Amino acid sequence: MKRFVLLLVVLATTGACGRNAVRASEKEFLADQIMVFDDDPHQASTDDHVRSNREGAAGGQGAGGGGCGCN
Amino acid sequence: MQLSGNDRFVARSEARAANSLPRRNPRRGQLRHTALALVLATGVAAAEDRAEVSTALFAEKRDGGKGGLVVVHPQATFGVDLGRFVTLDFAYAADAVSGATASIYQVDAVSAATKFSDLRNEGSFALGFKGKRSRLTFSGTLGTERDYLSRQVGGTASIDLPGRNTTVALAYRHSWDAVCNKDNGNAMPIEAKALLGTDSCAKKAAILSEDTPGMTRWEGLSIDTAQFTLTQNLSPTMNGQFAVYGQVLDGFQSNPYRRVRVGDNAPQEHIPSVRARWSVSARINRYLPKLKGAVHFDARFYDDTWGVLGGNVELAYSQYIGRPLLVRFYARAYQQTAATFFKDAFYYETESTAGEYFTGDRELSPVRNVLAGAKLNLINVGEERPVWGIFDKLQLTLRGEVMLIDLLAADSLETNSGGIDTQFIYGNSLVDAVTLQLGLLGNY
Repeated sequence: MKRFVLLLVVLATTGACGRNAVRASEKEFLADQIMVFDDDPHQASTDDHVRSNREGAAGGQGAGGGGCGCN
Repeated sequence: MQLSGNDRFVARSEARAANSLPRRNPRRGQLRHTALALVLATGVAAAEDRAEVSTALFAEKRDGGKGGLVVVHPQATFGVDLGRFVTLDFAYAADAVSGATASIYQVDAVSAATKFSDLRNEGSFALGFKGKRSRLTFSGTLGTERDYLSRQVGGTASIDLPGRNTTVALAYRHSWDAVCNKDNGNAMPIEAKALLGTDSCAKKAAILSEDTPGMTRWEGLSIDTAQFTLTQNLSPTMNGQFAVYGQVLDGFQSNPYRRVRVGDNAPQEHIPSVRARWSVSARINRYLPKLKGAVHFDARFYDDTWGVLGGNVELAYSQYIGRPLLVRFYARAYQQTAATFFKDAFYYETESTAGEYFTGDRELSPVRNVLAGAKLNLINVGEERPVWGIFDKLQLTLRGEVMLIDLLAADSLETNSGGIDTQFIYGNSLVDAVTLQLGLLGNY
């Protein structure tokens, strides 16, 4: 399992670095509301609340924000 | 322990720090990525102050004539930009819980329903600093309820890598919690009595614990949480996120009210004081330009030192209908194994404990659930003048969700003459829980 996770980390990291860049002019869709991870903090809070009382594995779902990186 | 909720608050606050878009760009800080701004070439860096209120209603059915549980969860957030580089956010949340009985473990359930209610209050702040490509956020949270106190500080740092297609974030939080417990003196765990709702849990200044010798004492719980997140643009219509999460809890983690029948005794549950948890998750968003919609996929794997293995997958679809309407449909499936010291109630009673531990916590039992839901957003953006009062944009959100829970056997069913169907007083209905949420977000 540790090897599997390590492989995932390596693939994610190297994959990220090796990809062709998305140009700023191509980010219209990435900037859309529906492409943002956790775009609704109140919903996320409610979901966490419900699940943390029903699932032993709850927590650590990820962070908000998209990968647009175009501030 | 609402760490996760605070995680979201910090994430949102940090995202706000990243924001420097003109006023009427899409909702929430995270979203104000400037691709659109670049396209529009406004070059304006105006404030993006915001206010949001919402209320969620969660209702869970309990079988066996034990009525149900209802939780009302109002939230309010308020955020302002203090100049170009500093943001400040405040949040408040509460839980008003009521039901026929607080217990769900059959061994512990009262034979006749007795009404109960509880109120939890939580306040948070986040101070964010933003650079050209980096963000730094510090946060603090204070939560209080009758039998639990939570004090938390944390920080999040993130940076957009060159090319601005990759965002790396690292977050850390520490929590000093206190749990009200029965003062059992030096009693052995098998003799420990459970806390009663009528026991006094004294506090000083509402947020400091104070023991009541002979009746109650406050137990400590330290929680350290770290998370690494990598978010990546994979193409002009697809992005992904990979996250690793770790947490160590050290202290009193039992439910002080819960009893477990062990032989002829019914002591307070007893579980290990240290737990290390970790998870990995991956998420993908794919925009569908022709449909003006997007598909979303989410998968997660979890493991901890108590032997709980879990995982979930979620699939969702978002669709714009006209300009102001956005709908989202989603479905999720989850399953976990039991903790190594969890036994079905029949075996605790007939065989004794698992090592030195015994618990009736359904979060530590083998269980699976599925849920399905829909969310409707009505978005109103003012073009030339505010939509209403000072607000440039208003967004109304309505969400509904149903959950089906399926309890599994931890031990052999062949020799379990008591069965598991009545082990917890839930899980035998077609729909076990319902969540409704109504929210209003305003940007000004």
